[in-house]
Amino acid sequence: MSDPLIDLFADVLEVDATSLNDESSPDNVEQWDSLAAMHLVAAIEEKFSTQLSTKEIMKMSSIGLARAALKDKGIDV
Amino acid sequence: MSKGYSIGLAGSFTVDPLTRLLGKDLSEKGFEKSDFQVAPYNQLIQLGMNPEGLLGAKTDILIVLWRIEDITPDAMNGGQATQDIDNLIEAIKTLRNNYSGTIIVSNPPYPSSPEFDVHDLEQPETGLQLYQSYLERWQNGIQDIHGIKQMNLAGLLDNEGHSTSHDARGWYLYKQPYTLNFWKSISAQLSRIVSAQTIAAKKCVVLDCDNTLWGGIIGEDGLGGIQIGQDFPGKAFADFQKYCLHLRSKGLFLAIASKNNEDDVFEVFDKHDAMVLKRDHISNWQVHWNSKVDSLQAIADELNIGTDALVFVDDNPKEITEVQERLPEVECLLVPEELAYLPSLLQNTGLFDIAELTDEDKKRADMMMAETKRKSASTQMSEEEFRKSLELKIDIFEAEEQHIGRVTQLINKTNQFNVTTVRRTQDEVEALSTDNDTLLIGMDIKDRFGEYGLVGVAIVQKETDEIWNIDSLMMSCRVLGRGAETSLINKIAEAVKSRNGKTLKGQYIETKKNALVKDLFENHGFTQDGDFWICDVDSVKAAPEEVDIRLRLAA
Repeated sequence: MSDPLIDLFADVLEVDATSLNDESSPDNVEQWDSLAAMHLVAAIEEKFSTQLSTKEIMKMSSIGLARAALKDKGIDV
Repeated sequence: MSKGYSIGLAGSFTVDPLTRLLGKDLSEKGFEKSDFQVAPYNQLIQLGMNPEGLLGAKTDILIVLWRIEDITPDAMNGGQATQDIDNLIEAIKTLRNNYSGTIIVSNPPYPSSPEFDVHDLEQPETGLQLYQSYLERWQNGIQDIHGIKQMNLAGLLDNEGHSTSHDARGWYLYKQPYTLNFWKSISAQLSRIVSAQTIAAKKCVVLDCDNTLWGGIIGEDGLGGIQIGQDFPGKAFADFQKYCLHLRSKGLFLAIASKNNEDDVFEVFDKHDAMVLKRDHISNWQVHWNSKVDSLQAIADELNIGTDALVFVDDNPKEITEVQERLPEVECLLVPEELAYLPSLLQNTGLFDIAELTDEDKKRADMMMAETKRKSASTQMSEEEFRKSLELKIDIFEAEEQHIGRVTQLINKTNQFNVTTVRRTQDEVEALSTDNDTLLIGMDIKDRFGEYGLVGVAIVQKETDEIWNIDSLMMSCRVLGRGAETSLINKIAEAVKSRNGKTLKGQYIETKKNALVKDLFENHGFTQDGDFWICDVDSVKAAPEEVDIRLRLAA
């Protein structure tokens, strides 16, 4: 079953979805640079119709942490 | 496919988002993959000196984006900001000399810093005025540099909207100020500038008549029945014609392809008062009942241009489709159903972008420029008027205990405007301040932009009863060009005179940094005497009249 958050990250980072999991972070995904981070924020906000604060953005240092931050906002993915 | 470019990006802020966006926009315009080199942010002065070093590789095109609020610490500080803008202009000049590729530089948008909040009631007189002066300063400086392509970032931001284009989070997290949407606009505009370098611009606009140049059908409605003039929708047609005429003035051909009786069409062009386009404006007429494809082919042949240089405008989707199928190289535009959008149909298409102006274009531009210059010459301020407009107030005084710290600081850090560059410790300065045979002079400056504080220092010492030696004379470069140096030297003479001295003596000791003051004494009435410069206290150059100068001497 496809994971919408993983798909989103794969789409923005232009990598294969199967290469990503909740442990994926800027440390182990080469394409995840500061520019990609900006695009990720825009993509997440658009897809889940939400606004992220700088605090939340700074917390999202892995896909798992992004998932947790979204969950805190009541967005279950 | 056009070949891809190697593109350098630099900015007073982070410009990385462009690598992805511009790469995509350019490949959509038919370029092979471009590669990007990004300079570290806000190092534009260094970029000028060593573009390849900062970018890390050789590039074909260099794009520089900048904002006033990034290059100067306080954009509300007019003097400083202007200086910083001048510095950037100099850096671009240096860059032009050091870089062989195409340089594209933006103009600065209205600052986004809180002091420039447009809702402040005093903004029209403060922020807006300052900004306009910056923009003008920049424009004047940059247009003199040969071969710089400008990008209207300010206009783009105005058009898209400041509040919706800024992303404060992006600024604080990544030092990039704009939303993704605005980056897309920047990228689209830049891709147009880049592709204008290589893709042939269109040369002729081919226009249908009925429901394209006017509303209605001339063959059925007659001269009195067609819609063209002051009322909508007639006004929209008239405005569209006006834009066509504007394109003609840029050097494009206009041609007509209409299925009509020739006499009917000529009657409109010749007799209808509201027609903006006249018969003379049209370079080729194809008014008959043959197909539009035949007409376009005939126009291209007669004007001796390729069909790929044609833009075709028609209100009939069937005609458009037929042309698109048989002459795919022709750019086809359908008259919009909402006629309010007709006048802007040909705007912002990029179809008429020309990279290099022809000699003819340049001639016309030159003539327009000459005219503008003539007009502005009469309104241009003289240097005196400029100073007057600054409402400059200069206070020159014998330094007291409270000034010692700042005076010592200036003595030890002023490099450029410093005639002898003698450094002194705070204790030495303090001793001088109480010495009877020494005038320790400070200079305070303010103008309508604010206070610059203590920015000038002179140490003048009695050598004999008659001769006083200017041991040190220095000024902060922030206050250059205001007549402050002349005021200071003149008041030194006055102070020496009050001590019954008759002659001023000065010396220029050359360093690597103080060429600025090489001719200072000569320019102020001093004559050379060996290693020194001498001047009678009554012969020193007069202080500028438009400056309000005060001299305070210790009792």
